[in-house]
Amino acid sequence: MAKVYKDLREFLATLDQEGQLLRITDEVMPEPSIGAAGRAATRMSNGPAVYFEKIAGYKNPLVTNAHGSWQNHALMMGMDKDTPVKEQFFELNRRWDKYPCDPVIVDRAQASCKENVIESDINLFDVLPLYRINDQDGGFFLSKASVITYDRDEPDNLGKVNVGTYRIQVKDVDTIGIQALPFHDIAIQLAKYERRNEPMPIAVTLGNVPLITFMASTPIAYDQSEYSFAGALQDGVPVEITPADTDPHLLVPATSEVVLEGYIKPRVRTCEGPFGEFPGSYSGARNQCEIKITHITHRTNPIFENLYLGMPWTEIDYLMALNTSVPMFKQLHNEGFPEVTAVNAMYTHGIGTIIAVKPRFGGFAKAAAMRFLSTPHGMAYGKLVILVDDFVDPFNLEQVMWALTTRVLPSKDVNLIHNAAGMPLDPSSYPAGMTTKLIIDATTPVAPEPNPRPVALVADPEGTEEWAKTLAEISAALGK
Amino acid sequence: MNCPRCDSPKTRVMTKSPVGDVWEVYVCDVCAYSWRSTEDPKVWPTFKLKPEQIPNLDVIPAIAPLDPDVSV
Repeated sequence: MAKVYKDLREFLATLDQEGQLLRITDEVMPEPSIGAAGRAATRMSNGPAVYFEKIAGYKNPLVTNAHGSWQNHALMMGMDKDTPVKEQFFELNRRWDKYPCDPVIVDRAQASCKENVIESDINLFDVLPLYRINDQDGGFFLSKASVITYDRDEPDNLGKVNVGTYRIQVKDVDTIGIQALPFHDIAIQLAKYERRNEPMPIAVTLGNVPLITFMASTPIAYDQSEYSFAGALQDGVPVEITPADTDPHLLVPATSEVVLEGYIKPRVRTCEGPFGEFPGSYSGARNQCEIKITHITHRTNPIFENLYLGMPWTEIDYLMALNTSVPMFKQLHNEGFPEVTAVNAMYTHGIGTIIAVKPRFGGFAKAAAMRFLSTPHGMAYGKLVILVDDFVDPFNLEQVMWALTTRVLPSKDVNLIHNAAGMPLDPSSYPAGMTTKLIIDATTPVAPEPNPRPVALVADPEGTEEWAKTLAEISAALGK
Repeated sequence: MNCPRCDSPKTRVMTKSPVGDVWEVYVCDVCAYSWRSTEDPKVWPTFKLKPEQIPNLDVIPAIAPLDPDVSV
């Protein structure tokens, strides 16, 4: 049984024990220190979390980059921190099949997120050490919240309780803006309230068990439960949730550090942004939704968890890497293409995707690419698709480059699909949301496609695996 | 004090530091830009806004039409 964390604090304790958390004990100014440290941490080979104990003018501490490395990602899953990415991918696939593992609803008295309550004179700055993440952001943003909403027409349907990550700008001491893009689940729910001109109940939760945060940014079907997936990814250990104080249908993680409760103002849009976004560029100002916060609960001495995002890779890339790859793999492998052996959809949330496939006949790999490009996520995000043979590790970019350089005849293997759907935040899409899809088939030709110059692959010399173990043992001994 | 982004004079103190008298945060009531007194905001020309541009910014997501039996 893999290690499972009951709250963010247990996860941080493990990161600390494993040398994956750095404590900053000196007082820092919020700008530019916190954003800069988050940026710098992601460039370190071990990508540690950074915990700020004292932030000038604020009461509470902050942690950033908690998910920001493959080591931390492995520890999130309770695995050895040195687990290779491909092994993490297959372990996530194994646990994925444990869905649904429904959450346990606990009483208010058992929920640590209720330790403190603020019902009047709401001021987010009293609870959260807010800061500007990137210099040209239009304000202070929450970049790592798990936002809870439900379906107005089916309030008791757990599958339609949505847990999502959206960018949130602090507009006032009790008012925040939120970006609900039309293809996000929250926008489907919002439309139902706005047709009735009713406020939409919402809870913004911060500092959660790491696999809830992970699932909040995972693309799954509208009627699938992020909580039931989080339990599955905890290897079958359910997560604990509890009703929000202001609305019993808003089910929030029981151990959140902070829960902001309130409502989206119906039919209101106000100026929001710019914000340095995950493609590594700013998205400009737009008129977006606004939330009034009416009630806060929080743990004693709450830890504000937030992330840096900018030019990849940053912490956010780890929260849309394997959790984009696994559902894409499932939708191909389990639904018509068992010949797809792995999917690496880690590049800018799947805008760039590498599919490993064992083609059965000529043109087969290209068909797998088109299948990916017609999944709900691949349709909007997928732009650059590379197909490699099944014996190429799609998570090993050196192997992928080998396939591109030795398997691609550009005149026949590079294909463009014009005037297709795209991701509006991709600055190369034009107009925003329209793009050209690129499919590069780097698999070995299979009949009836001609392969006029077949090659004999060079195999590893006999004894390579044994030598790998021997050399690793010598290296480890030297390290001691 | 004018807004660093839209130059509107309609700015105010949003809040003061909860601990000590370390900083204040200001906000523009026209474009919602906010900044801390310890910052020296230099908004790039591409992100400057004129107040009259704000109503014409993209609306995300589009506002659904009201059901026939509902009025604002």
